[in-house]
Amino acid sequence: MAREECKALLDALNKTTACYHHLVLTVGGSADTQDLREELQKTRQKARELAVATGARLTVALRDRGLATEERAEFERLWVAFSGCLDLLEADMQRSLTLGAAFPLHAPRRPLVRTGVAGGSSAVAARALSARSLRHEAEGDFDVADLPELEREVLQVGKMIDDMEMKVNVPRWSVQARQAAGAELLSGASAGASSAGGISVQERPGPCDPSKALAATVFSAVLLVAVALALCVAKLS
Amino acid sequence: MERVIVSMQDPDQGVKMRSQRLLITAIPHAVAGETRGHPGGAGRRGLRPLRLSRAGRDVVEWLVQKFCISEEEALHLGTLLAQHGYIYPLHESRDLTLRPDETPYRFQTPYFWTSTLWPAAELDYAIYLAKKNIQKQGALVDYEKEHYTQLHKKINHAWDLVVMQAREQLRAAKQRRKGDRLVISCQEQTYWLVNRPPPGVPNILEQGPERGSYNSSRVQMSSDFYKCEIERFRKALGRNRVKSSVCLEAYLKFSSQHGPHDPILSGCLPSNPWITDDVTYWAMNAPKVAAPTKLRVERWSFSFRELLDDPVGRGHFMDFLQKEFSAENLSFWEACEELRFGGQAQVPALVDAVYQQFLAPGAARWVNIDSRTMEWTLEGMRQPHRYVLDAAQLHIYMLMKKDSYPRFLKSDIYKGLLEEAVIPLETKRRAFPFLRKPLHSSPSPVLQSTPEEPAVTSTPAGGNGKQ
Repeated sequence: MAREECKALLDALNKTTACYHHLVLTVGGSADTQDLREELQKTRQKARELAVATGARLTVALRDRGLATEERAEFERLWVAFSGCLDLLEADMQRSLTLGAAFPLHAPRRPLVRTGVAGGSSAVAARALSARSLRHEAEGDFDVADLPELEREVLQVGKMIDDMEMKVNVPRWSVQARQAAGAELLSGASAGASSAGGISVQERPGPCDPSKALAATVFSAVLLVAVALALCVAKLS
Repeated sequence: MERVIVSMQDPDQGVKMRSQRLLITAIPHAVAGETRGHPGGAGRRGLRPLRLSRAGRDVVEWLVQKFCISEEEALHLGTLLAQHGYIYPLHESRDLTLRPDETPYRFQTPYFWTSTLWPAAELDYAIYLAKKNIQKQGALVDYEKEHYTQLHKKINHAWDLVVMQAREQLRAAKQRRKGDRLVISCQEQTYWLVNRPPPGVPNILEQGPERGSYNSSRVQMSSDFYKCEIERFRKALGRNRVKSSVCLEAYLKFSSQHGPHDPILSGCLPSNPWITDDVTYWAMNAPKVAAPTKLRVERWSFSFRELLDDPVGRGHFMDFLQKEFSAENLSFWEACEELRFGGQAQVPALVDAVYQQFLAPGAARWVNIDSRTMEWTLEGMRQPHRYVLDAAQLHIYMLMKKDSYPRFLKSDIYKGLLEEAVIPLETKRRAFPFLRKPLHSSPSPVLQSTPEEPAVTSTPAGGNGKQ
């Protein structure tokens, strides 16, 4: 069905935008490498393809006059989410353009800011591209060559947004979001509890404080083990 | 600020980086070595690679060295950097100030720098709050909760997107190493602390009231502008300046001279009307009173101005001048005053009359003015305005001051006045203070404005009076 297709495409676009945002965060920092720039470019391309596809589908669906009101409302909701996603993507692309121009990699006009991020981001990009792993083929001055293309792409995305606004007229205020105020907690808790449990325990005392609770449990565990050993020794002797 | 931060990054001349070892992971590029390696934990998990950091003290030292400024200034500059979010503390992450001790700090990623002034959109803030909500299982800080509900109302239409993006961003972040994840979340938190400050913290990004006029009318920095400036400063240099010692001496003299005459400093006789409701003081010091008080007569000897300002004094001075046959000076002076402060319509007529009476050759009461002043006056009289006789008036004033006034002070008239002057007696204090007349508050202005309702207002007035 058209609606499921659109939803799937929108989800994919959403995922790619989130990954792109995450990658752009580290541009100019200590983890900025040619690989990062290449990952950015690949993610960008994927995002653009998805955007074009979703846009086409949604436009077709919304221009269809003979659509039931319920379906129409559904499509409008998807449309609003889609245009918001595109705005985020465009903003991030614009920022990566500025930052990439300000922090060139090959001949450091300015040294990179030592932000403390040292790991690789290939896993993020792989997630964005829905690939298992990523091969890096970047040459030495990939980032410089990439900049004009990035500029063009930013303009393209802007034009795409304008076109779609022209074609489909969806007033934002008429769309009612389906999610309630605390919606992310409901399904997020179940999916993220297991894997995020470890993280949330770490995050709550502050990411930069030593985890005193963990230290206490470790100490008590050692104490219990010692007590058990003493009892065993007492029993045996 | 950006440039300072970037120069700090220079591997040779930048700020010393140290490593911070945390319990489970170590975060690089953190503030000066607060090593907290817990032996048990470190043994079990093994040390992750160290992450570099800076100490607050190092930052201050580096600033002092690089810019050759004092330590206070460096501390202030560092605090500004911290408040704008370029560096953030690792321990009390909500308190963005620079402390010159061992507390660790770290640099903010350029994406979140405030110099770029990308507006922090509501949508982004909503996504951040949603992410935090998920991570903390709903335990947001109060003001964040408020913002959350507000945003939910404001951008309700995009809420689906907010939730979706929040979830996806968290999942994307999970692909990174734990240390990186912590750093990135710290950075984001700092960014939002700067852009959406908690209540009570001043908003750094506020511009304050617009000072547009100074910037908009910026003059062209041309040679003409500088010539004008030079001229202006040269004139300012040549201005007459009085030494403060001289000023202060004159001030002291004035204070000591007028001290006994001041009713607040030296008390007023017979009694202060505001306190005792006795208006004798005002009656005795009325502008035109037959018997002036001694203080008043003494005041005439302070300066010529005092004498002329007091109507009684002026009258006596006029009598004295008539005896000396130079009364026309004072009359002329008075006529000039009338011209200066009189009505605009009478100015031409008055100028003519004064000229005919005092200045024309062979006039009835001719005053003695020097020739140059007379020339100026005659020239100015072709287009008469109210200040045309100023020069002549000043000349006569100085004449009187230098000549007649000292003689007046030495004259018999003045001495006689001094002897006759009255010193009012102080009102006798009653033996029992509570027998004194009860103080009435001044009648309410309501009474005066509505005289046609005396019956109604009299009772409230009576009530007021009795209080």
